[in-house]
Amino acid sequence: MKALILVGGFGTRLRPLTLSFPKPLVDFANKPMILHQIEALKAVGVDEVVLAINYQPEVMLNFLKDFETKLEIKITCSQETEPLGTAGPLALARDKLVDGSGEPFFVLNSDVISEYPLKEMLEFHKTHGGEASIMVTKVDEPSKYGVVVMEESTGKVEKFVEKPKLYVGNKINAGIYLLNPSVLDKIELRPTSIEKETFPKIAAAQGLYAMVLPGFWMDIGQPRDYITGLRLYLDSLRKKSPAKLTSGPHIVGNVLVDETAKIGEGCLIGPDVAIGPGCIVESGVRLSRCTVMRGVRIKKHACISSSIIGWHSTVGQWARIENMTILGEDVHVSDEIYSNGGVVLPHKEIKTNILKPEIVM
Amino acid sequence: MGSSMEEKVVAVIMVGGPTKGTRFRPLSLNIPKPLFPIAGQPMVHHPISACKRIPNLAQIYLVGFYEEREFALYVSAISNELKVPVRYLREDKPHGSAGGLYHFRNLIMEDSPSHIFLLNCDVCCSFPLPEMLEAHRGYGGIGTLLVIKGSPESASQFGELVADPVTNELLHYTEKPETFVSDRINCGVYVFTPEIFNAIGDVSTQRKDRATLKRVSSFEALQPATRIPTDFVRLDQDILSPLAGKKQLYTYETMDFWEQIKSPGMSLRCSGLYLSQFRLTSPQLLASGDGTSIAIVIGDVYIHPSAKVHPTAKIGPNVSISANARVGPGVRLMSCIILDDVEIMENAVVTNAIVGWKSSIGRWSRVQAEGVYNTKLGVTILGDSVSVEDEVVVTSSIVLPNKTLNVSVQDEIIL
Repeated sequence: MKALILVGGFGTRLRPLTLSFPKPLVDFANKPMILHQIEALKAVGVDEVVLAINYQPEVMLNFLKDFETKLEIKITCSQETEPLGTAGPLALARDKLVDGSGEPFFVLNSDVISEYPLKEMLEFHKTHGGEASIMVTKVDEPSKYGVVVMEESTGKVEKFVEKPKLYVGNKINAGIYLLNPSVLDKIELRPTSIEKETFPKIAAAQGLYAMVLPGFWMDIGQPRDYITGLRLYLDSLRKKSPAKLTSGPHIVGNVLVDETAKIGEGCLIGPDVAIGPGCIVESGVRLSRCTVMRGVRIKKHACISSSIIGWHSTVGQWARIENMTILGEDVHVSDEIYSNGGVVLPHKEIKTNILKPEIVM
Repeated sequence: MGSSMEEKVVAVIMVGGPTKGTRFRPLSLNIPKPLFPIAGQPMVHHPISACKRIPNLAQIYLVGFYEEREFALYVSAISNELKVPVRYLREDKPHGSAGGLYHFRNLIMEDSPSHIFLLNCDVCCSFPLPEMLEAHRGYGGIGTLLVIKGSPESASQFGELVADPVTNELLHYTEKPETFVSDRINCGVYVFTPEIFNAIGDVSTQRKDRATLKRVSSFEALQPATRIPTDFVRLDQDILSPLAGKKQLYTYETMDFWEQIKSPGMSLRCSGLYLSQFRLTSPQLLASGDGTSIAIVIGDVYIHPSAKVHPTAKIGPNVSISANARVGPGVRLMSCIILDDVEIMENAVVTNAIVGWKSSIGRWSRVQAEGVYNTKLGVTILGDSVSVEDEVVVTSSIVLPNKTLNVSVQDEIIL
């Protein structure tokens, strides 16, 4: 079975992290974002994944070779020379997705994190027999998104309404699709929106069905949602594979620590913390609701909350980092410094306090 | 002319490296700062072409931390164009401003030069190098510094100094003093005789000797833990300060302009300075036009031959337009740098801004700033491939590459 992951563009909302790596390779819960999706696809029997990208293929290809070998799955890239929207890339990758077997293929949006109940989705798709299945998720504020109006009992989709002013439903497109190869005949190779052009056509022909996504869903394309997403992900991990989480007297709530990371004495870690490979957390450190990426050193007595610390950065002794501080790659915060929402570009030294949210170039 | 065949001269231009120059962001995110265009040419081109005026110039070395491949293309192109061998040398680790020179001394001395120029790539001035060399020969010291009279406020990276008004000897030198020392500033352009290598070598050796001393005084034991490695030699503190007043170092004063290109805003100012210098030295490089078949040009303007500018546009003063840029009908450009492949559509206005490669500026849009060169948002900077949509106003802002602005912004940094 095949799958396409829409990787798209420059990831500017996740800067400064995406100044160092393309977005799919930015780590989430100690794993490159795209690896979460590739693993879920492999688990349901996909043998080839096509990445639809329009930026930095060279950097991606190196990493992908690694994953290919480790996961024993074929990974290829389909590069857009002009932005093709959300449906165009499918037409571009047509030859890779259609193998004559008639099997449906998955399409995932690379910014999305969820439990990926792809096996259930396959069964749902076979049962209803329609041309296309999409996952939808319930949200509190549907007017911010495109709402999918569907028949509750069968899941048959009636229509899509973009940012509705009046309530029409509370389910939105979760960015996970399972499509029959015949859908590709309906997509031209030009900038096309799958929600505005392709799906409405299929819905009108009564061929589009929606399944409500069980479990959590988050679009982690920007820092605030990345941090919330980690909480949801770790919650889910607690239910499904609690052994992967760390426990101990110095741990509170859900905490994920890579086996190569070291944590000192007298620390209090958690809730909702991920500590990446090779990290060194010295003694007396307090971490909550934060991500600490590969190779970071947090010095003694520091306190970090609601922030993201980029690869190979260091946080000085007694430093206090909070309120959506994002440190890019190789950022060094001096001892005793305070950062309130600083967004720091790679390769910087922070020697003075950041008293209110600002970008440090 | 009388100069013997042995009187060869070598020039060394320090270009710095990627992790040091974060002040030049966002322009330096996608291009090394020394290659950023000023007045239509890469920044480093200006000191290099100044070196060409030195009699008997044998070789130019660019020394820095960037990867070799970042400079490979430029170096071979410029060597061909100027018919002078230019070579990029990469420092594997920091050696300090003098240590770097010392590290490559064997290469530098290969042609047995009688004099060695040391320049900093981000200095913007008239580079009176032949005159400096002449004066240096007269003084008979081991080095001569280019100096300028500046305001006490202008924070110089290169230090304040006191010179003897009659002999021009360097009497006293301080780096970044807190109190006022003098109004003479070190410009960061030097000429040395090969004896300078002995002076640098001595500093290295002294450090090595001190490091091997087993008995350390209690005062030294209180010094900060980071001891300077023995081959790290700083020009200011380790050479200029100690040698001042010993009849070894002299000064040559320039009466022309001098600035340092530290921030993106300053590159706009220095572009203007070089353009006005072209008016005196190479007026054929500047554009002119009266609005009939060519656009109206006011003041000093550089337009690359491949750029297309509509005759109804009005350009200048202080505008630099790079290769393949397209300026549409009724556009007004003042005090700006327009980089390669930019498209500016009808009736747009750009003032006090730098527009990055491949960006597009929509119809009736306005990209502006106050033009205060050394403040963070004093000049609006658009990174590569930024798209400003029709009628949008961008004021005093910095926009990182690949962004699209469809609403007006002011006083913002957009990641």
